[in-house]
Amino acid sequence: MMQQISKFLSKNRKLIPLWSTALLALAAYGIGAYFFVGMRNPQVFFNLFRNSSYLLISAIGMTLVILTGGIDLSVSGVVALTTVSTAVLLREGLNPWGVILLMLAMGMTMGGIMGSFITYLKVQPFIATLAGMWFARGMCFFISDNAVTIDNRIFQILGKTKILIPGLTEIAIKQGNPPPYVSIPVVVGFTLFVVTIFIAHYTRFGRTVYAIGGNEGRNEQSARLMGLPVNRTKMLVYTFNGFCSALAGLALSLFVFSGHGLYASGFELDVIASVVMGGTMLTGGSGYVFGTFFGVMVLAVTQALIQFIGSLSSWWTKIVIGVLTLIFIGVQTVLANRKVGRQAAQSPEVLRAVRRKRLWQGIGVGAVFVLVLASIIIISQFRAASIDGSTENTQCDVKPFRESEAAGLIQDGAVIVYHRTAGPQCVDELFAIYPDGRVTGTDGVNKVEKQVTPAEVEHLLTVISVDHKWFTADIYSTYLTPCRQCFAHNISISYDAQEKSATGVDGTTAMPPGYAFALAEIRPLLPVINPTP
Amino acid sequence: MRKSNGHSFTWKTFTESRLFLPLIALSLILLFDLIFIPGFFSIENRDGNLHGSLIDIFRNGSTVMLLAIGMTLVIATGGIDLSVGAVMAIAASVAGILMNPSALKNEVFFVTDPNYTFQPLWLVIISALFVAILCGLWNGVLVAYVRIQPMVATLILMIAGRGIAQLITNGLRVQITYKLFTFLGQGWIILPFSLYIVAIMFVFTWLMTRKTAIGMFIESVGINFRSSFYSGIDEKKIKLMVYAFCGFCAGIAGLVASSNIKTSDANNIGLTTELDAILAVVIGGTAMAGGRFSLLASMVGALVMQAITQSMYAIGVPAFALQAIKAVVVVFVILLYSEQFRSFIRKFSAPKTEAKP
Amino acid sequence: MSEPDQNILVMEGISKAFPGVQALDDVGLNLKRGEILCLVGENGAGKSTLMKILTGVDQPDSGRIFLDGKEIQAKSPQHAQSLGISTVYQEINLCPNLSVAENILLGREPHKFGRVDWAKMNALAGETLQRLLGVDIDVTKPLGSYTVAIQQMVAIARALYMASAKILILDEPTSSLDVNETQQLFKVMKKLKDEGVGIIFITHFIGQVYEISDRITVLRNGKLVGTYDTDSITRVGLISKMIGRSLAEFDEMSKIKLDSSKHIKTEALLQAREFGLTGAIQPFDLDLHAGEVVGLAGLLGSGRTETANILFGAEKADSGSVSVNGNLVKEHSPLGSIKRGVALCPEDRKAAGIVDDLTVRENIILAMQANKGWFKYLSLQEQYEIADTYIQLLSIATPSPDQPVKNLSGGNQQKVILARWLATNPQVLILDEPTRGIDVGTKAEIQKLVLSLAEEGKACVFISSELEEVLRTSHRIVVLREREKVAEFAGEVDEKTIIHAIAGGEA
Repeated sequence: MMQQISKFLSKNRKLIPLWSTALLALAAYGIGAYFFVGMRNPQVFFNLFRNSSYLLISAIGMTLVILTGGIDLSVSGVVALTTVSTAVLLREGLNPWGVILLMLAMGMTMGGIMGSFITYLKVQPFIATLAGMWFARGMCFFISDNAVTIDNRIFQILGKTKILIPGLTEIAIKQGNPPPYVSIPVVVGFTLFVVTIFIAHYTRFGRTVYAIGGNEGRNEQSARLMGLPVNRTKMLVYTFNGFCSALAGLALSLFVFSGHGLYASGFELDVIASVVMGGTMLTGGSGYVFGTFFGVMVLAVTQALIQFIGSLSSWWTKIVIGVLTLIFIGVQTVLANRKVGRQAAQSPEVLRAVRRKRLWQGIGVGAVFVLVLASIIIISQFRAASIDGSTENTQCDVKPFRESEAAGLIQDGAVIVYHRTAGPQCVDELFAIYPDGRVTGTDGVNKVEKQVTPAEVEHLLTVISVDHKWFTADIYSTYLTPCRQCFAHNISISYDAQEKSATGVDGTTAMPPGYAFALAEIRPLLPVINPTP
Repeated sequence: MRKSNGHSFTWKTFTESRLFLPLIALSLILLFDLIFIPGFFSIENRDGNLHGSLIDIFRNGSTVMLLAIGMTLVIATGGIDLSVGAVMAIAASVAGILMNPSALKNEVFFVTDPNYTFQPLWLVIISALFVAILCGLWNGVLVAYVRIQPMVATLILMIAGRGIAQLITNGLRVQITYKLFTFLGQGWIILPFSLYIVAIMFVFTWLMTRKTAIGMFIESVGINFRSSFYSGIDEKKIKLMVYAFCGFCAGIAGLVASSNIKTSDANNIGLTTELDAILAVVIGGTAMAGGRFSLLASMVGALVMQAITQSMYAIGVPAFALQAIKAVVVVFVILLYSEQFRSFIRKFSAPKTEAKP
Repeated sequence: MSEPDQNILVMEGISKAFPGVQALDDVGLNLKRGEILCLVGENGAGKSTLMKILTGVDQPDSGRIFLDGKEIQAKSPQHAQSLGISTVYQEINLCPNLSVAENILLGREPHKFGRVDWAKMNALAGETLQRLLGVDIDVTKPLGSYTVAIQQMVAIARALYMASAKILILDEPTSSLDVNETQQLFKVMKKLKDEGVGIIFITHFIGQVYEISDRITVLRNGKLVGTYDTDSITRVGLISKMIGRSLAEFDEMSKIKLDSSKHIKTEALLQAREFGLTGAIQPFDLDLHAGEVVGLAGLLGSGRTETANILFGAEKADSGSVSVNGNLVKEHSPLGSIKRGVALCPEDRKAAGIVDDLTVRENIILAMQANKGWFKYLSLQEQYEIADTYIQLLSIATPSPDQPVKNLSGGNQQKVILARWLATNPQVLILDEPTRGIDVGTKAEIQKLVLSLAEEGKACVFISSELEEVLRTSHRIVVLREREKVAEFAGEVDEKTIIHAIAGGEA
């Protein structure tokens, strides 16, 4: 039996990483469904696709690039640039379909420029695409400093349309449950997926892509000698990836309905990790577009798991992804171990023994890591049980700032109004501090009040305005989507005939230091609002 | 005419040395500043300490300069280290937690006393650097012994490292107010203190690579590791050392950076600085394939990058538009080098050798 | 000369010089339709240069090439291919990660409705392999999953399919093949020959030369020795043309007395017992005494370099043992050998010898410094002194010790490497092809140097393809053939006997 398995494995060596990724994704989801009731909801499963459609789209393009032995670090920049440009252009009133086409053209242009630098000017892909990323991100902020919302009707429709799953709809209705759905970007993603698989395996372009990569660059030379259009193919590959990045950016804007230059930070690493886990080697020439889908799934499931565990923050995702990537790269290196050419021919038995030993080493390392991972998840389960407060199983819906209410409170005489949202408990709390020492707080349901001395309030105001320079240019608003543990703040101060509000979010150094200090000064004075259990 | 030690210094040696182009680039930028930015070169004396835009270039560039020191050696062996930004974050987290462990109890306890620190400064610094060296060793083992490609091997720590940094601080930003620590990045002894740190590291590294055989071995391994192997050089040990050292430099850079912003922010410390460091080294003329390197040229490369940034700020270019300009400059520099290469070869190929039978 | 119809290829008066060495000097060859011509010669003979010129990788300084009566000059490998000159190299220039069918047909693959017609492509590939080469394999599997032998077949198939080749050049195709695979290749070659393709077959396996070729062209040191009908030259005669003196001179000076030096001690500095590496060199015994030069003779591929490598520890032997100064060597490595006083000047100057961007000075002191470790750095003054000493001693032509070694000519580079090893003050010095690609004057210098080193009390191993050199420089000669030590000669030797030992088989 073992012999048969190992025989099958050795025949289809290339597919091993792919199937192990698939197994991993399924197993992880299975474990999650066992521990968390919420995950058994089929909609949660389909939300995986909705949440990761833009990752899939980008990873598809990246797969082709990596297959040629290159790399494209610019994807995060192009995605962000696409979201910002889209948002602004829509705000200016351009036709949404025109915007879409324009964005795709822009992506292709950027990809083409980078591709020509890499192909004809022989710049290393790493550097050329890095420069591309910087350039794209820089352009974002040329266009708009802050996040821009998208409220164009057609985009709203495109993003929010629920596409029902044929077959499952009737079953769900019979069970009395809402039918599961996906979104349009998911369909687009899958279409692109199928098309790219076709391109990779049924066109000369696709086969040339495979021919160029691998073998540590020697393949490219061989491909040229074989007369294949190497230069043209390389150019096209980067252009295609530019297209995919732009398309991913569009998918993202359809998901969050806004655009900002800080979006997709670190995205390129997620994309590369997905491709690697899908079985494509970073050296190129080997791998399947098909596998990338599973790589994306692993990332999506990991993220979902971590959300459900709740007590772990989103940063665990990064560790898990890093560890998984390591395992896969390690296994890839071991499996692909083949001594090429120069060294003296060794007897086949010796070679086989060496390879077997390496294979078991690789499997051993992988097993250790999986065990460690599993134990981390299990341990965190116990920690989660001991930590107070049930956390929401779904993503926190960050409430917008209640600016008009705050202004009203100031008119009524409050000197400090502080609105706080998000955070681990996903709150929405509005506080007001009055010169007579009264401190009120409300979350829309409960109201609390606390009394401090007027001297303390005066001291607070002085410190904030003088020491932390609240009313100078040193303090300004910053904003981005808060992380799982992070709060978003809106502070309004009225003092000495001056009034100023500023927003900020935890977990970023974009926030001016004075803001953080002011926050820290205010916090001790605030009463605790107990949410209704 | 040869002197007794055979080493003659002429104008030609200078123009051909690694230092030439970066210095030209730097001079051009400074020239531009001189002409277009009034007061750029003014240096004022505040309580015995010098301040000014010129000084700021050095001060703000110190993190990249520190990274570039370690990165130069790694690139010289033909490798690359993408994880330095993450290692910076890890070191900063270790330091932050040791000074203010309140984050571990899930509180952000704001310390207002500048003399408060949970652990003494020496322990904080040594622990942070120790962890940074461990990270470097990890990279080194993957590259030298497990034989994973450097870009791939260090990519792993780049992805996971920030997660680890946040693990250390329990996901929260740790405020740092300990005065002695903040002196690292914000202190001034006539010149900014971080400058002295850079200078010490530079001198130390220069001594280590040029006054011992290490520098020559690094170059040899980078140029031709087979020939080095036959000559008895242990390539594995060299690479291991070089990555560990790069981690060490990243650790120091992380301490300086976090003391600058008075926080240990796992998400943002060192974000994209690995790329700045790599570019500083490339501008400094060290080939990405490995080989000859020059620490001084990498320093100048880092200064070039920083000078561009500073000048753009001074003109009033908005912060992030700067990135786009940096991108253009970088590509321009790369091309310049490769053109130079090509014309160089053309000039010298007449009496020189080509392919041999 | 002959009817132009018969010759499909004529190369005449080809000369090519590189700085410091004349790679080809007025060389010519002609290839008839439907014949297999073997091109033989030891390292440095000029075979690869000649082929590079034919296939467009290099351009000749002078000479002309006629293909099928028309004068041609290939400007690039692709151009040569389109002219009808196809080459299959030892390193297969295909893509191992693509399937066999793709490797044969990609670039002209069949399409159906705009997409690749896999069914047709696979069928076509299979049929081509069958028809042209008589090979039947699963064309859908990746090329890399097949042995080198099959990969070569595929390479040949592509060459024939893509541009109906008039000439097929096979460059050392049998080096990685076993007996059966070689026979398969020969079957294919004969088939092609019957179809009128002209084949140039480059190999160093003398047995195969006699098995498959019609005629043999011998090159030596860049010059054409001659072209002979295979039937009319004996093995011994062929080898003497390649590496030794002419047969006529032979009979005159058949007895050579190997100079037994008084300086040779009896204890062995290095002793190898049953020392070998599977697939590289069969276990052998060897003793090296202080004051003696042991010459290692044999043809290319006989295992000389492998022997040198395992003696030095650059490759680890998997059988037997070696002792230096009576101490058994446990952990074998280059650094260990250097510390024990064993040095190896490797065969491949470019890949394993010079560190080309480093200066002459640095290259010279490199191994010495490695011996001292990281921290005991030789002061710059010491370095310059050492460098100057050896520059003088070996007459290295360089404007200064700070010249990057890549700017030196091949011969001087070789001297630099030699200097490097001499600087480590070794007891045992192994020299693998130290005079390859070097002008005559320097060759003599180096040979004299080796002898004087022996007189100083060192033990030297001298490996060369030039039998003449080996004879002149050695006190004792060890002969390798097909990766096995087959003979040892000392004292008075019959040169003919040596050549017989090298040749093996019938005379």
